[in-house]
Amino acid sequence: MSVINFGFRNEVIKHNASLSYCYQCSTCSGGCPVALLTNGVYNPRKIIEEAILGLQEKLIESQDPNPWLCSTCQKCVELCPQKVELTEIFTLIKNKCFEKGKFPEAFLAQGQAVLENGIAIPYSKAILTRREKLGLPEVKTAPVDEIQQILKVTNFEKNILKGDK
Amino acid sequence: MSYDLFLGCVIPARLPYLEVSSRKIFEKLGIQLHDVDGFSCCPDPTGIELIDHNTWLALGARNLSLSNNNGGIISFCSGCVETLKGVNYYINKDVTVKKEVNRYLQKVGKIYEGKTQVKHFAQVLYENLEKVKENVEKPLEGFKVAIHYGCHYLRPSEIIAWDDPFEPTTLDEIVQALGAESVEYDSKMECCGNPVEKSDKDLSMLMIESKFKDIYQAGANCVVLVCPACYQQYEFNQKDINKKNNTEFNLPIFYLSELVALAFGFKPAELGFNFHRAKPDALFEKVGFKI
Repeated sequence: MSVINFGFRNEVIKHNASLSYCYQCSTCSGGCPVALLTNGVYNPRKIIEEAILGLQEKLIESQDPNPWLCSTCQKCVELCPQKVELTEIFTLIKNKCFEKGKFPEAFLAQGQAVLENGIAIPYSKAILTRREKLGLPEVKTAPVDEIQQILKVTNFEKNILKGDK
Repeated sequence: MSYDLFLGCVIPARLPYLEVSSRKIFEKLGIQLHDVDGFSCCPDPTGIELIDHNTWLALGARNLSLSNNNGGIISFCSGCVETLKGVNYYINKDVTVKKEVNRYLQKVGKIYEGKTQVKHFAQVLYENLEKVKENVEKPLEGFKVAIHYGCHYLRPSEIIAWDDPFEPTTLDEIVQALGAESVEYDSKMECCGNPVEKSDKDLSMLMIESKFKDIYQAGANCVVLVCPACYQQYEFNQKDINKKNNTEFNLPIFYLSELVALAFGFKPAELGFNFHRAKPDALFEKVGFKI
């Protein structure tokens, strides 16, 4: 049985008040490429409905529908007649999923790369050689300790280390 | 005219040959790109932002704070552009966000006021379309191009504020200015599926498969795009799609900068075309393009 979590509901609305404007018309799902290919199993309208109702358990724990299937194509945001900022709301939901350790592994790997290197793809020896051969200049990326200092204050470091079990 | 160059991660660290053509065409156009030390990951709007929105804001704002150029920042990557424009948008929209972000930046002695302008390289090309036309030495006759705009080049339109979110024309006009033909196809405005690869590889493949089918059906002989994530999705999956469906797709996948560079008279060898999986040689021969 679904349980309404009022605290969660208020938190989402406080984060993005546009949630309240949704009248469940389904224009978002009609334009969603993933809804089309999954026969509506992934369904942005339903995610918004669950957020309005505060069904935290369904959204975060059982991930039904799975918010990680959103391709971030931003069509829904563009199409919504009520100007609901769907992807912003989905981002908050995914951030909460991540905090709870509910995420596809590839996201953790990217997070670890940024935490360790300040960049998502570290420069391999082969790539450095290739860059030189192609006549490309050396790239001086951010000092890692500076980036790590920021990641400490934003809780990123904490969540990545927690996610790595 | 000059810009600070924001390279990001995917192009310089995985697809450096795409950086070659991008740098060359702006040099030819007399538009200076300054390399800036100290940029981090943009960070990825389809990855890091989904882990933690505040971190995305903070690292993005730190990057933006490093630009002192009046022309602002130019990037070859639609993801980087979306992030940097997005961070500007949120900071300028909400003073509490700006305060919070600067509280993070303060820890490393930085501050960001939200004033750095950001442009996609295709936008800069479009704004200099006359100059582009003047520099075409070898018109791309016979190139039937399937343009893939990609989502983040256009949307969300409130943040990107460039071209039309569903009926864009800028890339078509650039491609036509090079002497090539832009071929219409059914799923032209659909997502390539790259961002869902992290969550569901099969779904991601379905998305790119349907695009390839439409592009073939429309009679295009190559694809052009402006985002390294889209590029990888097209270039690295064509073989697997063929294996799975018993098809023989073999379309050269060009970055817009590569098409421009070809039309400007640069040679495929100096552009690193040998690193492409689907080689464009057969296309050049078929349309009689002298290299």
